[in-house]
Amino acid sequence: MAFLDNSGDIILDAVLTDTGRFRLAKGDGSFKITKFALGDDEVDYALYNKNHPSGSAYYDLELLQTPVLEAFTNNTSMLKSKLVSIPRTNLLYLPVMKLNEIYSTNNSRHTSGAYLLAVNKDTEEALGIDASNNAVSGIMYGENVGAGTTIRVDQGLDTTEISPAFTIDADLVETQYIVEVDNRFGSIVNSTNGSITSPSFIDDDNIATYFFSLGTDIGIVSENTERDAAASTQTILGPRGTFIEFQIQSSLDLNTGTYLFTELGSTTTVNSTSVYYIDTTVRLTGATTGYRIDIPVRFVRKV
Amino acid sequence: MATTFKTFSANDVISTKTLLHEAVPITGAIVSGTYSDLNIKNFSHGMFQSIYDYPFLSSSANHLFDVTAGYSPSSKLSSSTTSVPFPVVAQSKKFNIYNQMAQVLMGFDHLGQVQRFDEDGDLLAGGNKIDSAVFVNFSRLLVKDEIKKGSFSLTLGVSPYAPHNDDTSLAALSSGDTRHVFNKRIKLADTNAQNDFRVNSPAGEYGILYASVDHGTNVLTGDPAAGSTTVRAGLIYYQAGIAVITSSLLLRAEDHSTNTAGPGIHSGYTRADTLGSGLLHKDLGAALTASTRGVGGFNSTRPESFHQLLTGSNITASCDGFRSRIHNIAFNNTTELNSTVYFCRANHNEFNYSANPTYLTGSKIRVKQQSTDQPVSFVTTVGLYSADNELMGVAKLSEPLRKDPTNEMTLRVRLDY
Repeated sequence: MAFLDNSGDIILDAVLTDTGRFRLAKGDGSFKITKFALGDDEVDYALYNKNHPSGSAYYDLELLQTPVLEAFTNNTSMLKSKLVSIPRTNLLYLPVMKLNEIYSTNNSRHTSGAYLLAVNKDTEEALGIDASNNAVSGIMYGENVGAGTTIRVDQGLDTTEISPAFTIDADLVETQYIVEVDNRFGSIVNSTNGSITSPSFIDDDNIATYFFSLGTDIGIVSENTERDAAASTQTILGPRGTFIEFQIQSSLDLNTGTYLFTELGSTTTVNSTSVYYIDTTVRLTGATTGYRIDIPVRFVRKV
Repeated sequence: MATTFKTFSANDVISTKTLLHEAVPITGAIVSGTYSDLNIKNFSHGMFQSIYDYPFLSSSANHLFDVTAGYSPSSKLSSSTTSVPFPVVAQSKKFNIYNQMAQVLMGFDHLGQVQRFDEDGDLLAGGNKIDSAVFVNFSRLLVKDEIKKGSFSLTLGVSPYAPHNDDTSLAALSSGDTRHVFNKRIKLADTNAQNDFRVNSPAGEYGILYASVDHGTNVLTGDPAAGSTTVRAGLIYYQAGIAVITSSLLLRAEDHSTNTAGPGIHSGYTRADTLGSGLLHKDLGAALTASTRGVGGFNSTRPESFHQLLTGSNITASCDGFRSRIHNIAFNNTTELNSTVYFCRANHNEFNYSANPTYLTGSKIRVKQQSTDQPVSFVTTVGLYSADNELMGVAKLSEPLRKDPTNEMTLRVRLDY
């Protein structure tokens, strides 16, 4: 997309997204706009210079010159970072979400840098256990869910300036998480009891969106009660809020065939085993705080 | 509690309707000349002719309009109603075209008979019918939702001499030459149609095309000036985007009284009529019915009056003859935009923080040095969401807008359908 002309009056370039048109075409009343959010995808706040020698009027000078792209029509490409409403103005810290790979050996990524999801039993057996019969880190089981690696993301204030012994302010606790995953590849599973969850909706690009809430989705979203600063199992350094934990079940297409692998992926070798693979990301967004992280996941199938 | 969405209230959403107009000028040079007729598409069925703005084999070509012609089985041109002294060619196709256009644009009477085109749209009063006509069907690309009432004009050259592609001496005539095809011109316009149009058509609203003199003298009987509503010459259907032009527009009034070989087009016409059928001035010259090749200009290979051409040649030849006399076409189209306007209101205590990863270093807000500093954020995008957080629409600002607790903003997002 091109940049918008910013030489004159401020203009607003509005489009329906592909999902919006999809809902409109369905004609079943699912096209209904009820709320809005503001975003700042292009903004690099590092350009905000609080120490500008010419004074405060110049702090945001460079930032305000940021050119803005035209609107994309792909619904998943926009509003990646949203503005947040918090009535208080005296906050100096905001919560973040971080992958917690140190909580247990079952939470870390594979040495390749992504979570590897073995899509069938053959692959699980080939990749899940090493020569010494030990479990390999970072291997998720897509068929026998419940075993293998679990993705865990913690939320809280990641700073050493405030002790984790303090309770995080209630309005900064993330109580609902949004998980987006390509529905052609897999679906989200409760890692505690192995139950498969249902997406709230699947968009026109086959992206399934799941909502998980504290108190409702027990075993997926939980309160983080660890207050010890020295805890070796915590990735959030300051006050902690909640965490989300889940696994992914591979789709039937990936479990039973190689079509999607040859169409969308390639082949490689993992631990001396030749595998087909597809790289994707699982997107996790805090519904309350708007913070978002992308988790790399590689679906693998033994050749 | 922190939030990233704000729900619209009933006062934040409004639906509006806007009529958007565009001027559509079509110069005659495009219609005949500029592309040596490579932009004219003829079909093997010979029912109509399509005009493009560029050689039609190119993917860059846009369809402008179609031209066709026909006459009613009850017309005096029909060999079934009178002994026409011309050769009759492909008459059934001309009947078919006339009937098709009439049934779509005029509908049927209470007996299920196709209504013929009426000169003034007053069907109950009877009056003159347009029994033979040229039809100009504009493409939806140009018309959009409808032609704006009172904006249509079509200028035709009616000089006796018409340049033909195969007659270089006439084709080379300068525009000032009295023999040049556009030296005498008439203009058809739906004068005052915005205040005077008809609604008794199944195809929507229509107006009456009035002829006036655009250039020259002794062009029309009485030489009515622009804006005159005395000489009715056709109908313009606004939503259908079709102009119905009476073929008598191209006949001299005198021809109907003296030329026994030239039957009129109105059902009320008799060979004893002195005026009222042919619209051109009696002094315009014998050219339009002349017997000299290259003069009279409707058929490039045979000198004929328009009615001789209409009956004695196929439809394509009539289209060629009419098209080569088009000097200019202009109208305004109309697009009906149904819009929903969403007023996205950010109050002073809303949207002052950001979830942008660059907003924080660690968890510390980058734009603040101490907690008492005002938070600052910058808006570049507005997202419109459904209740279950599906992104339905996006609006982008042309530059970042600063948002802090000292200001409020209302962003007006309009979605057009």
